[in-house]
Amino acid sequence: MIKIELPDALRSLTGGAQEIAVEAASVAEALDQLGRLHPEARLRILTRGGRVRPHVNLFVRERDIRSGDGLDTVLEDGDSLLVVPSVAGG
Amino acid sequence: MVLDRRLAELRARIQQLTPSEARERLAVGEVMIDVRDPGELAGGLPEGARALSRGELETRITELATPDSPVMLICASGPRSLLAADDLVRLGYERVAVVAGGVDRWKHEGLPCVRPRGIDADGAERYARQMNLPEFGMQGQAKLADARVLLVGAGGLGSPAALYLAAAGIGTLGLVDDDRVERSNLHRQVLHRDDRIGSPKTDSARATLEALNPKIKVRTHQVRLDSSNVEDVFSDYQIIVDGSDNFPTRYLVNDACIRLGLPNVYGAVQRFEGQVSVFAAGGRPCYRCLFTEPPDPDMAPSCSEAGVLGVVPGIIGSLQALEVIKLATGIGEPLIGRLLLFDARTTRMRELALGPDPECRYCADESKFPGYIDYAEFCNASSLEESETND
Repeated sequence: MIKIELPDALRSLTGGAQEIAVEAASVAEALDQLGRLHPEARLRILTRGGRVRPHVNLFVRERDIRSGDGLDTVLEDGDSLLVVPSVAGG
Repeated sequence: MVLDRRLAELRARIQQLTPSEARERLAVGEVMIDVRDPGELAGGLPEGARALSRGELETRITELATPDSPVMLICASGPRSLLAADDLVRLGYERVAVVAGGVDRWKHEGLPCVRPRGIDADGAERYARQMNLPEFGMQGQAKLADARVLLVGAGGLGSPAALYLAAAGIGTLGLVDDDRVERSNLHRQVLHRDDRIGSPKTDSARATLEALNPKIKVRTHQVRLDSSNVEDVFSDYQIIVDGSDNFPTRYLVNDACIRLGLPNVYGAVQRFEGQVSVFAAGGRPCYRCLFTEPPDPDMAPSCSEAGVLGVVPGIIGSLQALEVIKLATGIGEPLIGRLLLFDARTTRMRELALGPDPECRYCADESKFPGYIDYAEFCNASSLEESETND
């Protein structure tokens, strides 16, 4: 099982849940699973064309997936996928 | 005469160094401890020495030296360091030496002392609790007094950052903000007060900070930062603290810091969450490596729309102040290449590794600054639509 950890700002799109459990072997698969459950939440992370939005960072095992294999980064059972969007508040 | 006999006995068995010999040992990394009381230090410490008063020597010596490492002690003129040396020998320290003649002889021989600006009797008392920290000491305080730090935004993040930096004794503290105090600011912007509603935030901040610490210099810039004024404002400072509340300013601050070679202490908050990092001078990574482009405006509500729990910027702004103090003094390990996330709901902090974007237009190649852009347009453009077209 993979845990997707969403930012506070996306809670309103997941019925209040900040952690979503999915079965997936890669980051792309995990986000596809998220999209089936909560399509609006997925659209805040990926474009309709399936690319990671430039204001969003995805971390697996505390590392940015861009420094790994991007959306193809392999997930293992028990991994968390952390979604970190840019916020501007001060 | 009892004391004279005792000192003679100690001189016979504890190694005495001339100030020059002691300075040579400092240069190769040996520890020198100034055992005078904090109130005696206003005239300066031998360069490289750590302050640890005799009263705390035994209880805190392990913060500076292990029993098998060499330790040099110095006091005003010599006797106290001998007595202190004996205390350390009894504690099991085997390689203790004293500087004969103490700081008086050190100065008489023309050796350098760190005589910090702004640390007069007031400063010695005001900053005593942090100067007591051996790794901070008078040198750390002197570095803060020399530091020129600019806070972008005197709001939720700028408030705690400014309060702690002013209290800590940052020599020159600048604030940029063009807003006025509103009642809805006051739950988190603790620099301001109810009776200052309607006043410029810069004026309100100055009044608070000067009341807290009249020893520092507060400079205010009541302007909205843009491409035409950012370099004029930034160029007098050494460290920039980004506590702004909008994306155009954040990208502008990033680009100006890259351009001018300034470190950017970043913080941002929304709702129950906050982020902190330090982008080093020259970036790699910089803010743009982390967030290449801003979100579409409809995906990025501001604090006024999304809300923020007041204490969240209190925590994040305080962490920014901490990072500034570390950068200014060289103490510890700044948050460079790391992003700290704070979640107030769970009271959890997480640390994530940040790497440079090898294709970053602003910091990947420092010789090619691409110039400032129209930041308002950059942040209003719909990257979503662009992305869809490209996809």
